Amino acid sequence: MKGTFRGGVHPSHKSKDPTKGVKTREYVSDTVKIIMNMNIGAPAKPCVKKGDQVRVGQVIGEAQGFMSVPVHASVSGTVLAVEPIPYLTEAPSMAITIQNDFKDEWVELHPLGDVEHVDPKLVIPAIQNAGICGMGGACFPTHVKLSLKPDQKCDTIIVNGAECETHLTADHRLMLENSKRIVDGLRAVMRALDVKNGVIAIEDNKADAIAAMKEASFGRQGVTVKSLRTKYPQGGEKQLIEAITGRQVPSGGLPIQVNVVVLNVGTCAAIADAIIDGKPLISRITTITGCVRNPSNLRLRIGTLVEDLIGECGGFSEEAGKIVFGGAMTGLPIPNTAVPIAKATNGVVVYNKHDGASVEEGPCIRCGKCVSVCPIGLNPFQIKAAADADDLEKCKALHVMDCILCGSCSFDCPSRRWLTASFKNAKQKITLQAKKAAAAQQGGTAK
Amino acid sequence: MSLILSSAPHIRTHNTTTRLMGNVLIALAPCVAAGVYFFGLRAALVLAVSTASAVLAEFVWQKLAHQKVRISDLSAAVTGLLIGLIVSPTVPWWTVMIGSFFAIIVVKQLFGGVGDNFLNPALAARAVLLASWPTRLTSHPAVGFSADAVSAATPLASMKGISLNDLLLGHVGGAIGETCKIAILVGLAYLLITRTISWRIPVFTVASAFLFNLVVSGSLNDSLTCILSGGLLFGAVFMATDYATSPMQSYAQMIYSVLIGIITVVIRKWGVYPEGVTYAILIANIVAPLLDRFIPQKIYGVIGKKKEVKA
Ligand code: SF4
Ligand code: SF4
Repeated sequence: MKGTFRGGVHPSHKSKDPTKGVKTREYVSDTVKIIMNMNIGAPAKPCVKKGDQVRVGQVIGEAQGFMSVPVHASVSGTVLAVEPIPYLTEAPSMAITIQNDFKDEWVELHPLGDVEHVDPKLVIPAIQNAGICGMGGACFPTHVKLSLKPDQKCDTIIVNGAECETHLTADHRLMLENSKRIVDGLRAVMRALDVKNGVIAIEDNKADAIAAMKEASFGRQGVTVKSLRTKYPQGGEKQLIEAITGRQVPSGGLPIQVNVVVLNVGTCAAIADAIIDGKPLISRITTITGCVRNPSNLRLRIGTLVEDLIGECGGFSEEAGKIVFGGAMTGLPIPNTAVPIAKATNGVVVYNKHDGASVEEGPCIRCGKCVSVCPIGLNPFQIKAAADADDLEKCKALHVMDCILCGSCSFDCPSRRWLTASFKNAKQKITLQAKKAAAAQQGGTAK
Repeated sequence: MSLILSSAPHIRTHNTTTRLMGNVLIALAPCVAAGVYFFGLRAALVLAVSTASAVLAEFVWQKLAHQKVRISDLSAAVTGLLIGLIVSPTVPWWTVMIGSFFAIIVVKQLFGGVGDNFLNPALAARAVLLASWPTRLTSHPAVGFSADAVSAATPLASMKGISLNDLLLGHVGGAIGETCKIAILVGLAYLLITRTISWRIPVFTVASAFLFNLVVSGSLNDSLTCILSGGLLFGAVFMATDYATSPMQSYAQMIYSVLIGIITVVIRKWGVYPEGVTYAILIANIVAPLLDRFIPQKIYGVIGKKKEVKA
């Protein structure tokens, strides 16, 4: 087995230094704004109204169908507003604002007890009810990932503790501070799917996390810890699967097609909380770093506003030019500080005016660097030419749909070309086109 | 507060086009020093003229064509300096000037500018100069005499009596930058350390020339002389690795390099020209895009899957 993948880049990990050695602290703000479409799939529907009193863990947004997860109140208090707010998505998102009364009154919880003895059939429904979705960034509903079709089979569960992105240390801290919960979550899922092999994968630059996880998984049935070469994007789902199992997910397919399920460490810990304590997903660890006075990892309630958490970290240390949710390679820039964090917000990174400035694109000098770093084996410079010419067919033929938007090509391009950004755009257009075509076809058959 | 909303990635490598081209200029410095040391001020003049004319040509062209002037990316300076380094120090200054103009305007800019040319500009210029003024370019001075001294035949034309040691140090006649192999190797080390180029092309080119020569000649000494003489090493390090004109895929790069190695030996052994590297690389330049296109790409998750048939 390889323990690595081809291509990739080595962005500096100095950005992790300010936060990786500092203990996580809890921060609870006066108000929270909880959005309804945190997850991939259908947004939840608000089921409380202005003026209602809510308790921690109470369902305030109901799941809409299977491809959706419920949303819970993360603090106790009074509902101030139920209204759409501008969010990172194109369309505004429904949000529920709650004034915290700091009483921390919980709804009645129904713990299922020890993960080694819980009825395996109860695990996935518990995950669904707890509103858990992928906390590594994608926020795909976890119960959907775990509900295998009759012809699907899983033989390995990989817990992603690679944390290959720059700046972020939230997963690292979680592995140090809450190792046992991660293993518990993994074991619950292994029992639910009757899987014998659970692998916790960590990049080899986090020796302390590897040691902590090894200790926590000692004596736990079928659980192993594997160290991986430190290289970006080692934590990419496809790269991780190849590094651990040597298998490649077929183009356009899902990990389950090669009998693998990948879960983030945070997701595993949330699963354990849901089973052992019966608690839904209402908080998470987020790394706040960059140009803030006191870079920290905070355990935040879902819905905490960026302005509040920046204040908790001592405020800006320099004038902010850009604020990004997530690491430098794939993070999403946010429009203002009135935006709340969601279940998948693993980091809030503040850049100053200079570092945040958009770079100007130069002509392609055909140096081939983008080709040699692409972990998928694409020809980014060629796809870019096709994308610039708006030739979507050619983009497809050049496999733009296999691009994982890891950012490696843009990172390494000496001419500062906006490769990844244009692929994201092309992929969106192609998906939209396909949706329209499908809709047109359906309309046609209906007639 | 207005925040910048540019998309990921939010950090970039410190390498820029200017920096990479600057690395090439630094890597060429030992060759420049060796050239001036062995051939005197005359060589310095040739290099100055070739570099300045290339930059000037690029500047004037981009001004006239109302394009953004990009001489600060240093790519024209690299081309100009390379032209100076691959001609004889006795060549009249106006010849190198014509060479630089031709390289920049015809070979580079008429084909779309940086990255879009399919022939190596410096080598194409040398080929044209060779065809137009064959004697001027190949009459090399013997080392130790002043620049206007008696011309000696190039080491390739009369190989006898030259030791491998002399070849290595550059104690032989030849083009300004091509003779001192030690200087070239120092430059190569710098290019590799700074990740400006990958090891593949230089190593495969030299190795394949060596092995092929060994097969056809059966002599180890002859094969060592083969890789240490003429412009092979210089070409393998500085010319064959030119970004725009070499393939991108690693397998294509290997085939391309082997092609250069073999064609060089073929031209040297059986051709009419004593020096084959220029033509070998130019031929390989032409083949490079085809290699990239026809050597199947290995895409994650696509192996074994049938290619979609176009409707
Ligand atoms: S890295 Fe940039 S300049 Fe180099 S080939 Fe790719 S797109 Fe062109
Ligand atoms: S962003 Fe896409 S094309 Fe660029 S390196 Fe990553 S996978 Fe390859």
